[in-house]
Amino acid sequence: MTAPRVRARPSARAASPDGTYDLLRRLRDEALDSDYAHAANRSTVQNRPRRSAAVGAAVLVALGVLLGLAAVQSEQEQPADQRERAAVLAQIEQRQEQIQDQTATLQGLRASVAGLQGDVQTLGLQGADLLDSVAEARRLTGAAPVQGPGMRITVNDAQDAGKTQGGTVLDADLQVLVNGLWQAGAEAISVNGQRIGPLTAIRTAGQAVNVNFEPLQPPYVLDVVGDPQTLQARFSETAAGQSWFDLQTNYGIRFEMATASALTLPAVPAARLRLHEAQATTGATP
Amino acid sequence: MIAALGLVVGIVLGILLQPSVPLALQPYLPIAVVAALDATFGALRAYLDGVFDDRVFFVSFLSNVVIAALIVYLGDRLGVGNQLSTGVVVVLGIRIFTNVAAIRRHIFHA
Repeated sequence: MTAPRVRARPSARAASPDGTYDLLRRLRDEALDSDYAHAANRSTVQNRPRRSAAVGAAVLVALGVLLGLAAVQSEQEQPADQRERAAVLAQIEQRQEQIQDQTATLQGLRASVAGLQGDVQTLGLQGADLLDSVAEARRLTGAAPVQGPGMRITVNDAQDAGKTQGGTVLDADLQVLVNGLWQAGAEAISVNGQRIGPLTAIRTAGQAVNVNFEPLQPPYVLDVVGDPQTLQARFSETAAGQSWFDLQTNYGIRFEMATASALTLPAVPAARLRLHEAQATTGATP
Repeated sequence: MIAALGLVVGIVLGILLQPSVPLALQPYLPIAVVAALDATFGALRAYLDGVFDDRVFFVSFLSNVVIAALIVYLGDRLGVGNQLSTGVVVVLGIRIFTNVAAIRRHIFHA
């Protein structure tokens, strides 16, 4: 129970076999604060009486408080960790629900995209149909040039037109001829290259017959697109056919009709295709 | 006997009163506890060696706690708080183990 017992322990520096400074060994050898040895020395020298155990007890109370605090603190931190984990888990669930919602939305959108694509295809087909209709209407009204089989009719004044009366082809004669051809099933008619359109007039102005305001000179060549098999026969059955038969026999007006396998008719001049006053009706188109 | 009573009273006080540790000091509480344990086991060994001195115990307890907390605080300021904490725990742990081994030899003579 004396100080030399403590001091008897080998010093770290001395104990190191290779003479190096051995930190861990020194740490171990000087685990007990050397102050205790000093204090013991001094107390033996001065014979100072030991103090009461109250100081040591007070220090131990402090240690106890520290331990209790540490325990309480770690207890308090645990629920916090659990709360955090629960919050993260809740977030995960929330996000998963979001993902499910968005997946459902995505599927719905995909379905509608597929539907819209079907609509687009339908509309494309309808558009093609409409373009076809428009093209047909343009051919029908003379807004577009046409080609096809039909007849070429050449009419001319009588040989002696200047001497006898009535030997000249009049605008009325041409009107009758064109009307008869429509009646006989013609689909497109041009006179000397002037296409007959909805607004086309055939009338005499000055010395010449005007079609589409263009003065024409005889002979008048009528290109008629229609069925070559039936056009001629049906024309001769019409009143116009009768009328022209009379013109040939009575006045010597020349009339020649020949089938043509491929005729090309120009469009009506643009000036004769404009509508200025006629408005579209709001009702359903037939 | 009085010492053991003091320890128990201290623990009960700490748990019951729960004095609020300032938030800035909370990170240093665990390391302070380890330092306090080291001082206490050193004192116990000194007692068994017969060289116990309550003043030395008091001073070493206080200085251990304060210095350990200061080292960790410094480490936090320097950005190496975790490494310094580990170092302090290693050093104190070795001392605790050595002292407890000496105590064991005193009690069981083995």
